Amino acid sequence: MEEFRKKCKGVIFIFCFTLLSLVLMSTFQGAEKAYGADKVETGKKVYQKYCIICHGNKGDGKGLVGIIHRVEKSGLVWTLFPRDFTVGVFKFRSTPTGCLPTDEDLLRIVSNGIPRSGMPSHEDVSLEDRKAVIEYIKTFSPRWQEEDPCEEIVSVKKPKWVGSPESIAKGKKVYKKMKCWECHGYEGKGDGPKSDKLKDDWGDKIIPFDFTSGALKRGSSPENVYITFNTGLDGTGMPSYEDSLKEEDRWHLVSYTLKLLGLAE
Amino acid sequence: MKKIMVFTVVVALLIPALSFARKAKYEVVEVNNGGGIQGTVKTSLKVKDPVVPINIQPKEDPKETEIERKTCGKTQQAGIYIVSPSNEVKNVLVIVEGVKKGKAAPKTDLTINNNKCRFEPLVSISYVKSNYIVKNSDPLFHNTSLGVLLKDKRRAVYNLALPYQNQEIKKRNRVAGLIDLKCDAHSWMRAYVYSSRHPYVTITDANGNYELKDLLPGKYTVRFWHEGFQEETKEVEVKAGKVSKLDVSFSKTRKPDFLGRL
Repeated sequence: MEEFRKKCKGVIFIFCFTLLSLVLMSTFQGAEKAYGADKVETGKKVYQKYCIICHGNKGDGKGLVGIIHRVEKSGLVWTLFPRDFTVGVFKFRSTPTGCLPTDEDLLRIVSNGIPRSGMPSHEDVSLEDRKAVIEYIKTFSPRWQEEDPCEEIVSVKKPKWVGSPESIAKGKKVYKKMKCWECHGYEGKGDGPKSDKLKDDWGDKIIPFDFTSGALKRGSSPENVYITFNTGLDGTGMPSYEDSLKEEDRWHLVSYTLKLLGLAE
Repeated sequence: MKKIMVFTVVVALLIPALSFARKAKYEVVEVNNGGGIQGTVKTSLKVKDPVVPINIQPKEDPKETEIERKTCGKTQQAGIYIVSPSNEVKNVLVIVEGVKKGKAAPKTDLTINNNKCRFEPLVSISYVKSNYIVKNSDPLFHNTSLGVLLKDKRRAVYNLALPYQNQEIKKRNRVAGLIDLKCDAHSWMRAYVYSSRHPYVTITDANGNYELKDLLPGKYTVRFWHEGFQEETKEVEVKAGKVSKLDVSFSKTRKPDFLGRL
């Protein structure tokens, strides 16, 4: 009996000691190191292999390749630069304006790339490595530690009538009323009366999208078009219409946009 | 034996709780017999407030062009330098920096109005967890883009479309710091909001005066920010029941960013 008690004491002592040391370890090492250190380390290696040439070793978009896309159109010249991760602002999110993107948002960009920019697809990189590089990208801005995540915009349910002639006609009216043409032009060519003076938050000249030129950077599915009206494109002049436009009208606007893109009759 | 176990579990639970408390940015306490800071902001320079030219590109429908030209005007007085005859500066943000403890911040919402192609007010204060109410009083498209100013970069806080007159959007203030406002449709439009977790922020009046009340005694750093002057920071000691005097004189001008966008 006495021996059994001694054994019990020993077990409790070991239990207490382990619990304390675990708590101490996770507290003083910081959550990131205790749980995700390996992932960030792997991510850094992946980043150095594939991303550094454009996005730079500091993640500020100032790698060896400065300009990744240069466009000349209707006498205008503008250039695209690699994303600066140090600010923590992203255009293609599933979250409202002013929010950080979700991991899935970042994974989609890393995997699919961005059409009409220098960002290539990385489907050839293993999923594990793609996920790891996202963890590493998140270390460039303190925003990922400071801010609470926002809720995703989930109600993207395309009505059946999207793309129908009636919906396109309604969408054309919305396009006029919502003043989309002020930037994107009367025919969606990106040459509206306000298109000339736009700059992004980095102070670089930008041009509103020309819908007649082809693929959207986020992807041209109706759902992708719809979500951009909700989220806006942070860092650029494209604002969020989440509070200014009814859901139904947003879908009519999708129909008209598809028409301008040549994806609807 | 039981005691040891209970003790260990309590300690194990307390350690992470303490580390969370360490991360908390501002602690609300009752302030009795606190101290204050009072002063005047002046400038030693002769400054002239510029007139901003307004260019409205013609639209397809001449009526719409006319509406916009009438609403925005041909020129606007910039309103950067509002200086009294005795050199006192209006619209200086006076910010007590790094306050860890003090009174609760007010819950007042801040209304920002797009009026005659200007933001009103030009300089204001908002409190984290209160709301921004963004209005459009003009019969034309505005967008209100809020961005927090980091060292040399801008991070989007909200970018809201306000396509029609009398529209109003309410958004929660989630981000602390110095925030600038711009409208991508009208390059001259700008405003500044200081978004604070604590109540120790104010703006100088037409006589350059400011007053901060109910601070806990201690040493503080006060930042004086103005869009057209190089900012100043000063150290001050606040004593219980007393008002410390802290005057500042701006001696260097600075070109506001919006002038570069015109």
